[in-house]
Amino acid sequence: MSDQQASPIRVAAIGMDQRQRNALVMLFNSHCHKRYILVEEESSEICIIDLDLYGGERLWQEFRQRHPDRPLILASLKPRQVENGHTLFVKKPIPIIQLMNAIGQLSQTLNNRTAEQQIDPVASPETTPSLPQKPRHPAAPVTRKVASLMTEAQETVFIGTSPDIDPDNQQQLAKIYYDPQHYLQGHVQQALNQATRYNKNVTIEGPWPAIDLIIANQQIMVDAGEKHLRPFCTVPDATREVELRFHEQHKPTTGRKEYSVYAFIWQLALWASRGRLPSGTNLNQPIYLRRWPNFSRLVVTPHALAIAALWSRNPRSLIDTANSLGISQRYVFAFYSAAHALQLAGETRRAVDTLLEPPVIEQAKHRGLFSKLLNRLRG
Amino acid sequence: MSDYKIIFSGPVGAGKTTAIQSISDILPVTTDEQASDMTRNLKNGTTVAMDYGLIKLPGTERIHLYGTPGQERFDFMWEILSNGGIGLVLLINNQRPDPFGDLHFFLNAFQAFIKQGKVVIGVTRMDQAEMPRIEDYHLQLENSGVKIPVFDIDARIRKDVSILLEALLYSLDPGIEE
Ligand SMILES: Nc1nc2c(ncn2[C@@H]2O[C@H](COP(=O)(O)OP(=O)(O)OP(=O)(O)O)[C@@H](O)[C@H]2O)c(=O)[nH]1
Ligand SMILES: [Mg+2]
Repeated sequence: MSDQQASPIRVAAIGMDQRQRNALVMLFNSHCHKRYILVEEESSEICIIDLDLYGGERLWQEFRQRHPDRPLILASLKPRQVENGHTLFVKKPIPIIQLMNAIGQLSQTLNNRTAEQQIDPVASPETTPSLPQKPRHPAAPVTRKVASLMTEAQETVFIGTSPDIDPDNQQQLAKIYYDPQHYLQGHVQQALNQATRYNKNVTIEGPWPAIDLIIANQQIMVDAGEKHLRPFCTVPDATREVELRFHEQHKPTTGRKEYSVYAFIWQLALWASRGRLPSGTNLNQPIYLRRWPNFSRLVVTPHALAIAALWSRNPRSLIDTANSLGISQRYVFAFYSAAHALQLAGETRRAVDTLLEPPVIEQAKHRGLFSKLLNRLRG
Repeated sequence: MSDYKIIFSGPVGAGKTTAIQSISDILPVTTDEQASDMTRNLKNGTTVAMDYGLIKLPGTERIHLYGTPGQERFDFMWEILSNGGIGLVLLINNQRPDPFGDLHFFLNAFQAFIKQGKVVIGVTRMDQAEMPRIEDYHLQLENSGVKIPVFDIDARIRKDVSILLEALLYSLDPGIEE
């Protein structure tokens, strides 16, 4: 056993079930270059006991009676002071690295001992040595475009059809902005701010179907479906007579359409922006993402997940985002407008963020595989 | 044949079995025989008792879906079993007494995945327990060093599980769409 390459160190897992033992075998095979092998207690050099197993404490005591100085690793959820020259403690759940360190440390103890005495030869280990690991071929690149989440008609409604602009062309630049304050989006945002501040429900009154915000539930209730509501959301200044009426009570929910207030504002922002940006947004200032939107409950525009993933790594300007992902600007603008309306995204203010160019997107080893899986999930 | 795995973990009743079921190509199994891919390199195809599902992709690639058994949350083998996984889907049951306790327990158990940003979190049963809210989870995650997607999902709804997995894939590589 002095030659680690030739003969692996024999480790036993006492009292553990087959599943736990399998896990160890997998670990030894995949991680440890076969320096260790799982065996039964009789033939082992190092043992592991899970103190949280039924009867774990007893297993430990009996083990020590049988083998007063065999190197032992004790694992438990509760931290324990049990360490001595040949016993180590690791806290569960055990990070692989800690388990490996513990085994490595006890192997060293063994090595030191063999320098002094010869350990009896032992019976052959019960577990077969591992087969070589399967080679992993990188997935073939996929050319098929990832399926879109939206139909073309939906896309026109939420994203519009504006072509990319040249940020240095003032005429084109003038066309990409809208002012949320002039849309129903802005009124609902304002209503939410005030309702939060005064902790009161509010009704947003105007020519549209009645919109109630129930602050405790962060909920919106509307008297009509989207078909009736949308026309009021897409034109600026649909009315100048908007009133916020605060109250404790609210109408019963029957027959009304319910939204989470965030999903509602998100949708209104998409309708209003149609691929444009809140006025004043700087195209070259890096954009940060405060946190991922709760996409499972929101309208997911094309490429929104990619943009969110990108910004959650590093701030990046709107123009650079479109270029890096190779997508039309309107997708980036639409997502930004919606995320900005919920205060999930904004322009960075720190000088440091503009100092360095954001890194190129590194292609994952399995990009082809990921594309296939995506298509499958959306398909 | 190329094999990859995605791990589903989380406390009791979080919807791991259900989530795997809703996207698997095969009837999920909790028993041994079919889970043999993960353990093919083990003697006699002995296995691990986890939930198991499979997604077959065009060509020869297959995604194996493994769910850790929730009632054995004190099992210390998770990280070992999930070693080499593409990513982790952590499901948290919002109806349990201490969902944040659960959250931190599992984040700690899967540190390696978290540090590499190979994780998404689905909070389930929000239809039955509204609180805590998704934003409260984000506050809990502020010190994790990575921005983790956290979605309100119902494990019984395929679309919910799917968007969670999509977010995982984009987190791993935002440039997937070409
Ligand atoms: N109401 C509701 N029920 C859900 C939701 N997600 C899952 N369930 C149900 O919750 C129950 C438990 O789900 P499982 O998939 O068995 O949970 P698990 O994580 O595998 O649980 P263990 O195996 O015990 O760890 C099932 O009946 C599901 O249908 C949800 O979001 N809302
Ligand atoms: Mg289960």
